[in-house]
Amino acid sequence: MKARHLLGLALKQITRHRVRSALTIAGVATGMFLYASVQTMQSSLAAVTQLGAEDNTLVVYRENRFCPSTSRLPEYYLPEILRIDGVAEAVPIQVTVNNCGASLDVITFRGVPPENLLEYNPDIEVTAGSVEGWIGRSDAALVGENFALRRSLRPGDTFEAVGVRVYVAGVVRSPLAQDNNVAYVHLPFLQQASRVGLGVVTQFNVRVTDASQMEAVADRIDELFAADSAPTNTRPEKAFFAQTARDLIEMIGFTRWLGLGAVLAVLGLVANALLLAARGRIKEGAILQTLGFPRLAVGLIMVWEGALLGLFGGLVGTLGAMAFFHLKRFTLGNEGLTMALTPDWSVSLSGLLLAVILGLIASVWPAIVASTKPVVSSLR
Amino acid sequence: MWKQRAINETFAKASRYTKNFIMTFKTTIPLNTTEAYIRCRGVSKTYYKGKTTVTPLEALDLDVGRGEFLALMGPSGSGKTTLLNLIAGIDSPSTGELWIGEQNLASLKRGQLTSWRAHNCGYIFQLYHLVPILSAYENVELPLLLDKSLSPKARREKVEMALDLVGLSDRSDHRPTELSGGQEQRVAIARAIVTDPGLLVADEPTGDLDRASATAILELLQELSSKYDKTIVMVTHDAVAAAAAMRTLHLEKGQLAEQATTLKPQTV
Repeated sequence: MKARHLLGLALKQITRHRVRSALTIAGVATGMFLYASVQTMQSSLAAVTQLGAEDNTLVVYRENRFCPSTSRLPEYYLPEILRIDGVAEAVPIQVTVNNCGASLDVITFRGVPPENLLEYNPDIEVTAGSVEGWIGRSDAALVGENFALRRSLRPGDTFEAVGVRVYVAGVVRSPLAQDNNVAYVHLPFLQQASRVGLGVVTQFNVRVTDASQMEAVADRIDELFAADSAPTNTRPEKAFFAQTARDLIEMIGFTRWLGLGAVLAVLGLVANALLLAARGRIKEGAILQTLGFPRLAVGLIMVWEGALLGLFGGLVGTLGAMAFFHLKRFTLGNEGLTMALTPDWSVSLSGLLLAVILGLIASVWPAIVASTKPVVSSLR
Repeated sequence: MWKQRAINETFAKASRYTKNFIMTFKTTIPLNTTEAYIRCRGVSKTYYKGKTTVTPLEALDLDVGRGEFLALMGPSGSGKTTLLNLIAGIDSPSTGELWIGEQNLASLKRGQLTSWRAHNCGYIFQLYHLVPILSAYENVELPLLLDKSLSPKARREKVEMALDLVGLSDRSDHRPTELSGGQEQRVAIARAIVTDPGLLVADEPTGDLDRASATAILELLQELSSKYDKTIVMVTHDAVAAAAAMRTLHLEKGQLAEQATTLKPQTV
């Protein structure tokens, strides 16, 4: 007997028991939505806290900083940093945020020298408006696309936050998710508008020539300014996030249990639905065996059914989670550092695979029940 | 294999379901064929219900000829259905030999019996036992799915032919719930014959039907036996149904009690 025939019979069992199937699929979808959401948070957290081989950017903050507002570094550090061996380039940045605590709606202004923006972030892509429009106007802002969507901003609009009023010159997209949640403004403008004063910046972003020299370069920078009026603390940005967002990380780590709970709920739901179906179809299984269907084939119909229920529920749940995060564009902020909750295809695929495996596992016992009952007594 | 030509001829001559048509064939069939298709030798069946040993069949000997239509009668618990299940290969005798054609079913293991059933036996149940979510067409198609060598086209032709034979071509898309009892039983018969097995077993096929539907079903079984050479073993409580068979056996307490041979089966 061909596997596709068994698959066809399993599909008919699903499509012709519509209410039962719809309820089971809805349950699986809910569980997998929760699982995919938790995994999205985990993967987003990993993306902003775990260093990769491609990471070659250091951030220089004032020592003992708590929030961007407490990190005040003199802008004249820049030429000295650039002279250090292993430094490819450095950009002074002023950061102003509306909320230093953990928040889902953080507004972050990044003040950068207009002429350095594309050096600082060469992968930036303007999706609306223009860079020229931004360079030509001192109060102009290039707004990250997630930020723009959250606030419904378009080129030509003006908006005010943290006491800073800016004109939207364009909307930008960056491969770094956290860059899509900020507004780039002119450094001198932000220094004055946020009243920190000219010549003072929050941080320097330093790109090193070789990723393997990150630690050595960071040590040299901190040694250089150790005896200065503003001692520094230099680390990869991801390391700062991992340090400042410890509570957040712990909380997100806890959500693993929610994910596990969702997985167990899906397993129980599918197993229960199939077991009830198997018990209701004892006679049907016996009829099939009377017609000459091997016991394995009768069991496999149930296994296929479980896999299909998992597949359909998994598709709805994981794609639903992707769509949800894509549309809502959540950004978690803490101490001025942002983490975008970005939907990821690998999360969806792993969720889908997990749902199918759960469906398969859940169907094993019902398949045994359906295929091992004695034919003669089942037909009575 | 189905004989398309024979079917066409049947359609050309007259309606298959008229009494005259059935009688034409009845008169030409030898009732006791020399070749025994089913041979039971000392067949017993014993099972255990708690600490009690139950023996519904005991040392039974029986020959049924190829193409014979046999009715099994007897009171409840006499072993009729047990014998039927043994002949159909859904149960195995505890002792004895049970030959169907050249195959001793008593020597087959469960998996081998399943495979044997798929090719050699069609089972017709009292309560039809159609798969409720499948249409008449899909129900009839079920046994053919086991044959990997059949193309979809060949499968479709066989299903259509079987449904045609039972007079339900126009109801192939209907689900069991959309059919009458008689129509459901016709679909069940089409499902039983679609693989062209040599043996058909029927467990009270008319027990749940009104007289008119029962008559139509019995006529169909007579036709399958007489025209298509199917060996049919039917369990029934109904003397009228039994009269449609060529021979009637009475079972009592697991043993043959009486045999009645009808040289000319009655018109039902």
